[in-house]
Amino acid sequence: MANSLFEEKLSSNDFIITTEIGPPKSVDVSEVVHHIKLLKDKVDAINITDHQSSVMRFPSIGGCLLVRELGGEPILQMTCRDRNRLALQSELLLAYSRDIKNVLSLTGDSIDVGDHKDAKPVFDLDSVQLLKMIRTLESGIDMGGNELGAAPKFCIGTSVHPEADFIEPQLIKFDKKVAAGAQFFQTQGIFDLASFRRFMQYASQFDVKILAGIIVLSSAGMARYMNNNVPGIIVAQSLIDELAAVEKGKGLQKGIEIAARFIKTIREEKLCHGVHIMAVGNENIVPDILEAAELVSSSR
Amino acid sequence: MIVAEQKPLEDIIRMIVPYERVLILGCGTCMTVCDAGGEREVSFLHNALQLAQARSGEGAHTFSEHTVKRQCDPEFLEALGEKTADVDVILSLGCGIGVQAIAEYLPDMPVLPGVNTSFMGMTKESGVWDERCAACGECRLEDTGGICPITRCTKGILNGPCAGVKNGKCEANKDMDCAWILIYQRLERLQQLDKMRRYYPPRNFRAIPRPRRIMSKAETVTGESNG
Amino acid sequence: MNVANTSYPVNRTENVPDHSLVPPCQDACPLHMDIREYVGLVSQGRIMEALQVIRTGNPFPSICAYVCTHPCEDACRRSQVDKPIAIRSLKRFAVEFGGDRMVQAEAETTHAEKVAIVGSGPAGLACAYYLKKFGYPVTVLEAHSELGGMLRVGIPQYRLPREVLDIEVKRLTRMGVEIRTDTRVVSLDLLFELGYKAIFITIGAHQSLRMGIEGEESPGVIDGATFLREVNLGLKPSLGRKVAVVGGGNVAIDAARTAIRLGVKKVSILYRRTRAEMPADPAEIEQALEEGIDIRYLVTPTKVKRENKRLNVTCIKMKLGKPDESGRQRPVPVKGSKFSEQIDTLIAAIGQAPQTPDDFGVRIGKGSTIQVDPNTLTTNRAGVFAGGDAVTGPATVTEALAAGRLAALRIVDYLQHRYPLPVKEAKEKLSGDLLPETIEMIKKIERAEPPSLASEVRARDFEPIELVYSWEQAINEARRCLRCGVGVEILFQDKCATCLTCLRVCPYHVPHLDASGAICIPADQCQACGICVAECPAKAIVLRKPFDRRQVNDELSHAIKSAAELKNKPLIIGFCCQYGLFGTGTLADLWRGAGAGVSIVPVLCVAKVEASHILSAFETGAEGVFIAGCGEQCARENTTYWVQQRVAKVRKVLGSIGLEPERLQVFALGTTTEDPVEELDKFVEQIGSLRLASVIKGEVKS
Repeated sequence: MANSLFEEKLSSNDFIITTEIGPPKSVDVSEVVHHIKLLKDKVDAINITDHQSSVMRFPSIGGCLLVRELGGEPILQMTCRDRNRLALQSELLLAYSRDIKNVLSLTGDSIDVGDHKDAKPVFDLDSVQLLKMIRTLESGIDMGGNELGAAPKFCIGTSVHPEADFIEPQLIKFDKKVAAGAQFFQTQGIFDLASFRRFMQYASQFDVKILAGIIVLSSAGMARYMNNNVPGIIVAQSLIDELAAVEKGKGLQKGIEIAARFIKTIREEKLCHGVHIMAVGNENIVPDILEAAELVSSSR
Repeated sequence: MIVAEQKPLEDIIRMIVPYERVLILGCGTCMTVCDAGGEREVSFLHNALQLAQARSGEGAHTFSEHTVKRQCDPEFLEALGEKTADVDVILSLGCGIGVQAIAEYLPDMPVLPGVNTSFMGMTKESGVWDERCAACGECRLEDTGGICPITRCTKGILNGPCAGVKNGKCEANKDMDCAWILIYQRLERLQQLDKMRRYYPPRNFRAIPRPRRIMSKAETVTGESNG
Repeated sequence: MNVANTSYPVNRTENVPDHSLVPPCQDACPLHMDIREYVGLVSQGRIMEALQVIRTGNPFPSICAYVCTHPCEDACRRSQVDKPIAIRSLKRFAVEFGGDRMVQAEAETTHAEKVAIVGSGPAGLACAYYLKKFGYPVTVLEAHSELGGMLRVGIPQYRLPREVLDIEVKRLTRMGVEIRTDTRVVSLDLLFELGYKAIFITIGAHQSLRMGIEGEESPGVIDGATFLREVNLGLKPSLGRKVAVVGGGNVAIDAARTAIRLGVKKVSILYRRTRAEMPADPAEIEQALEEGIDIRYLVTPTKVKRENKRLNVTCIKMKLGKPDESGRQRPVPVKGSKFSEQIDTLIAAIGQAPQTPDDFGVRIGKGSTIQVDPNTLTTNRAGVFAGGDAVTGPATVTEALAAGRLAALRIVDYLQHRYPLPVKEAKEKLSGDLLPETIEMIKKIERAEPPSLASEVRARDFEPIELVYSWEQAINEARRCLRCGVGVEILFQDKCATCLTCLRVCPYHVPHLDASGAICIPADQCQACGICVAECPAKAIVLRKPFDRRQVNDELSHAIKSAAELKNKPLIIGFCCQYGLFGTGTLADLWRGAGAGVSIVPVLCVAKVEASHILSAFETGAEGVFIAGCGEQCARENTTYWVQQRVAKVRKVLGSIGLEPERLQVFALGTTTEDPVEELDKFVEQIGSLRLASVIKGEVKS
């Protein structure tokens, strides 16, 4: 019996599509609402990011509530950066009670890359420990060893970095995440299919679902900026060149084209179980990508 | 070693405003080694404060200087003797411990911190100090190849690298090695990678509540609190 | 701001003792001259002071400047790096440029006891000089018509111009030394009867040794000492066209080179060993070869026969056999290798011995030398002392001078009934070679050979062949000195926090940890650059010769005092390296050209300028401070780097108290394409305008 629609989808053999929405630094959520409405029927689930890049924003749980209200399937991104184990657990209780049952466990970006550099980095837990904690909570016991009145049940995922330039320690961590109970992985941005294939050759031995992260590039400049400033992202030079070759103003179009090409290839070659599209502030183009990739959401 | 750096001169000038006669007191141990408050720095600060006073035309401080072997033991402070008789304040270039030891030893003497005590570390090269220990009270270096993830990973995580690592460097600082890459490489070298594959549960922060005390005495000591 | 009212802590540095060690050059010098000191002064262009140091340790520096065999250079540790410092040539430079000719030696007679000196060679003259200085009436008795002994009759003029000797003799006469030439002493009793209370016998070793071969007495065979004496006293012996000199010492070389100068077409030297064993100075051997003298090794004459007004010399070839008692391999004849040659003159220069009149009544030892107690130079007769070649056999001029000085001291002891205590060295010797690791890090700087006359020119006459350095050559040569024995030490072990800063900043990797975990800075490896002294956070390290560091403080307070007189001009204080720069004129122009308002603090390498010194300069009211160093020309490593580190640190302080960081500048020669004079001018201008700006600002405020 699946905990959520998304979990049910995961257990099917369908090609899975997720995407993500970054909440605003505002109390005005109209744009988020607009994006949710735009995407909720085109994808299988929508992640709401958790203070992405350590920039203070409207919270993930708040975004997930909106998704729920609007009839979408939310994935609660949960980082360890800002909450200690008490806060994490209580938020999980809240999420479950509001029918938010998909959780993505993340360590969280460093405080240093964000807009509150003087803040105290919490990191009471790491992403593996968070996965374990959720499973413990599901057994009806909190981290202090106390019984819960009623226990939640989640579909949990986490991330993996298949294109890390030093892969071995990442694979060890991947193993540990699988062992800790991760059901699905939304990977970091994939820019090199050869490298992703190598990862899948390894990952396919585990009974977990892998959704390839697709970051939509809008220009060569953006790609270079991400290489220099966004943790973990390594955009291949060939893609930067491809973006640089187009005339001004057509960068995003090219980016959509590249993203669609990747999705198509992944799907046709059955490289993995699905994709996770990260449009980074351009959420409204996600439908264009899906269209270009000749993908129509099969679930709705 | 405890590593500190001298406070900005502006801060020091501001701190000493209410006092006339200032004794700049150096420490001959860690603060000497980390270039923050040894005899040379005491002299340098002495010069700098005098220059600042001469240039601004404000303030009528008189300065004296002295360096004791170690500020954090009262026995060494006894050597100060009469040197504190004619001063209104001690500007300590000792670490935070030194400052407090002086405050405890001289109950009527104001004492000011001249350095920002930063961390426990080692000299990487001349003029460069790196943090190495967070004094977590629960040393796990056995499991991590002698490289501390709590100190050297900006997130202090225990189960391997985050995804922010690039070129072996940390996402928080491109010049800083990723502790977990270092741990991996070292464990690989030692053929102990199984240690990295283990699951490490969340840390026990009960070791941290402050202040801590270590007693190696056999019998129970009663009396003074350590706060 | 009132400069005079500023409280400046002038001598915050401790009273540091002098722990400098005796360097190998000084140790090797028979006169124990303070070579490191005068070479250092030359490198700073302080030539007069250098001469003063030289004169303190040497009664006749101008003579040594020409003829010293410079054992100091053989001991010089720079030879482990590249080549030794050209010490003798530097002394020559100091003597010539420092105005030694003008120096007046004066002495008053304060004692009644007369001393007679028998012989006027270097030992006799030195003894006379010192005794007179100590206030004793002295009479020098010389058998020849002129003073000087071997200096006069032995050493050829091209090595020692006679006017140099004459000046020294004149100086002695002016001091009041009584001179009696053409006076051969045959009995000491007579001298005592004449009222002399002590006698110093220094009659030299003028008797040539015999070869002991058949035909040695033939006309056309002459001994080296006699030959040189005749030529030096103005005779022109006729030698014919072809001359052979037998022997391998300095006298043999002198004789051969003298013969060439007398116009002999073909001069050869016959030596029974090889070049490696030749006792003559290698540089002189080289010069002899350059002048066309043919040196034939492993050859010795066995018979001389006079035929048809020429000499038929039979020689035999030799080979080296087992070592003899002197450690050199003994030459043995090669059977059947005899050959003969026709020559005109054969000069035998195989050694000399003293010839002491029997009536002197002094005990004679091995090699006809006078036996003395080497510590006191006393003979078996009370009041009779002996020294120089007469005691040692043929030796060097410098050794003779040292013997003369020792004799003077011992004679004074004798006359004052003092126990002749052995001379104690107050300082420890520096011993030990440079380690390969140290050598690797030391900058290689080519030795500047002193200029000399071209060989084809010099072989024509008796003009002195070695010329004097130019100012710049001398200074650059002197800068090569490694300053052995004045390196650093951890004077305050209790302060040392074993922080390892010294170990990390030393460009030569000299400091290290010993087994007990303490820092060692071996004196024999330290290059005295001073970087660790300034960087030591505990101020535990000092230079063994504290003057070098104290000087910065002293000179700074001096500069401030003189600056107090400045009015209405921006005061600029410059820390300027003294090594080389001022001497070669580059920096001299720099601060002369900058005009008024610039006060110079001379330093021995800018690496010794500490951050505190710079702050002190500002504290006194300086509007600008600059540090001028040799940059890439510096003989030490990393000095500019550390200056820049300290400057950065001070600039931070300046910034935080509202002073423009540009008020502090570094000028390093060789690192800038700009003319240093122009650069400094710019700096002065800039400081002037900064001052103007602050005056205006001040007016607006008020």
